[in-house]
Formats: sequence, C-alpha cells, structure tokens
Amino acid sequence: MFINWALQEINLKIVYYGPGLSGKTTNLLYIHNKLDPAERSDLITLKTREDRTLFFDFMQLEFGKIKNKRPKFNLYTIPGQSFYAESRKIILNGVDGIVFVADSQRARILNNLESLYDLEKNLAEYGKDLNDFPWIIQYNKRDLSDIEPIETLQSKLNAYQVPYFEAVAFQGKGVFITLKTIISQVIAYIQNKI
Amino acid sequence: MELSTGGNGQQIILTGEMYKSITELLSELLIKTKSRIIVFADINGHAITQKGSTTGFNVNALAALAAGHFAATIEMSKLIGEKKRFKYIFHEGDEMNMYTCNVGDNFLLLVVFDVSIALGMIRIFSARTIKTLQELLAQNEDVDEKASDFLDIEFSTLLNQELDKSFNKYDL
Repeated sequence: MFINWALQEINLKIVYYGPGLSGKTTNLLYIHNKLDPAERSDLITLKTREDRTLFFDFMQLEFGKIKNKRPKFNLYTIPGQSFYAESRKIILNGVDGIVFVADSQRARILNNLESLYDLEKNLAEYGKDLNDFPWIIQYNKRDLSDIEPIETLQSKLNAYQVPYFEAVAFQGKGVFITLKTIISQVIAYIQNKI
Repeated sequence: MELSTGGNGQQIILTGEMYKSITELLSELLIKTKSRIIVFADINGHAITQKGSTTGFNVNALAALAAGHFAATIEMSKLIGEKKRFKYIFHEGDEMNMYTCNVGDNFLLLVVFDVSIALGMIRIFSARTIKTLQELLAQNEDVDEKASDFLDIEFSTLLNQELDKSFNKYDL
C-alpha cells in the first residue's frame, strides 16, 4: 500500500495467485477487454514464446475521485509454473490482497494444494498469514466436465473460510464479482486493522 | 512526522511536505542531467512522482516493471555470491538509456536519458540526489496519519457504488 497524502492517492496491490494454467491471466484479460479504457491502463504481459506467464502481468485500475480521493488498484498475476518460485515471492512483496485462482479439474487438485502451500510459505516470509489477510478463492473452469464438486474443493482448499466464487473466466463468469469482492475485502481490512 | 516507510511491503505513507521536497529534488536532477524522464517509485512498483516528458507515457507500468526487475536482480546477486545487491541497473538503447538505482531499502529512482548523455554524469548527479533523498526520508520514519484515516466508512460505501456502476453490466 502506498498513500500519497499530497495527491490524495492510495495505491493498492492485488495479486492473482494459483497454479499454472488456472486462469489468472485470463481474469486480467477479461477485465482489460471489458472495462472502459478510462478506468484501466494497458495490460502489460511478460510471457514466454509459448504464451505462458514468465514474470507477471500488470494492469492498473482507477475509478476516478471518491470523496476527493483517488484509489488505484494495481493488479498482478504470478507465473504459476513451479520453477518460477523466486519470481512469485518477488511479486508478493507489498501485496494488499490476493485472489487465489484454483483450477476446478479433478486432475489439478494437487497442483492447487501445492500452490496454496507455496502462497502460505511465501507470505510468511513477508510476515503475513492467510488467517489474517484479505484473500478470496475463485474456483475457475466450472464449465469443464471432469471437475471436483464445490464441496470437495471447499473442504480441501478453504480451511480459512474465505469468500469464494465459481467462475468460467474466459467467458467472464465470476470475474467481476471476484474483483469487486477482493477490493472490498482489502479496504475493510485497512479500515479495521491498519 | 512525515513519512512511514515499511520494509517488506508494509504501508508507506507520504505527506504533502515530503512529496513537495522529493518533487523539487527530481526537478533539479532533471535539469542538471538533461535527462528525459525521472521517476521516483516505491520498491513495490508504485510510481510516486515523476518529472520530464511523461505525457502519454505509462509511468505506472514502467515503475511496476522496474521494481520487478530490480527485485529479480537482488535475487540474482545472491545466486552468484555477491554479498550486497547490485549498485544499479543500466539499460542501453540506440536512442534512450535507462538507469535504475535504489534509494535506501524502500524506494527506487529511474532516470531515462538520451544516449548522447554520459552515464558517468547520470551516476554522479543521481548519487547526490539519492543521498539527499535518503536524508530526507530518514528524517521521519513514523507518521501520525493512519491508512484507516484515509479510508473511512463513507469512502468504502461510495467506492462500492462506483464499482457497481462500472461492473454491474457484467456478472455482478
């Protein structure tokens, strides 16, 4: 979080975390495509030649002045592939809120668990704890056939009982409610805890 | 009390006087070095203030990318056994160069300049500015202001209304 009192600006960092190919970049792409260009910056993507996220994606959202203050939300994704562990840690520096994008497919449950463990471990290095931090879960790819029931995903991934949403990110289903909820959670956390 | 700086991504709060002083320092550096653009950002990639020809220029993306890159070089320095982090990052282009350096542990200075300007000059003047910035930033590391004072309950109600207005045509 960065507050510039002179300009009445607050910058908040929201990171979309999750295993490789769970749909983190797809969330940002959908937001970018739908929002009025006046409300968002260009989407910066650092990707491999195979279109996988290499370092991070970045986009800034700004919704004008609210009570003469200018809130700005910096959205980042992380590279989900396991060998980019150092990059993920770097991107979490200064994070204010997290959307954990889980892949609903049965075959991906271990990848989700590994990624969640990785998130918990990396946050701990910054002195943060999932038990007391604004984060939510998005269960993506609900349109596919071989997916886990929500109850199973909830029991395996949502021990902290954070808000969760079902999504089909490439169709936009669940994308904006996820974004709105994490923004609200971050603001509420600041008001109550900081 | 003017500035709260937090390591490891804690909150950073900048007040009016501090912002003004930093902006003045950047203006001086811009004039002395004849550089194109100077950006002062926090280590997490939030652009704080900038000077120079920034019209139509995505300063926020530049700050985010530079911060990510800078953090990556810190990890690289560890991997090759360098005991301290690299002193600066220099990008050399055909027409434009960019010099990036940390200001203490929590901030970054980015200088974009024409290739006709010697790197040595940028380094010397930047080092002086960074020293002054560090002295300024060290003056007061605690602030009376709190983030919760900035974002009151009415703010969140209005923000929610604004988000609904922007998002509700989709899937809310």
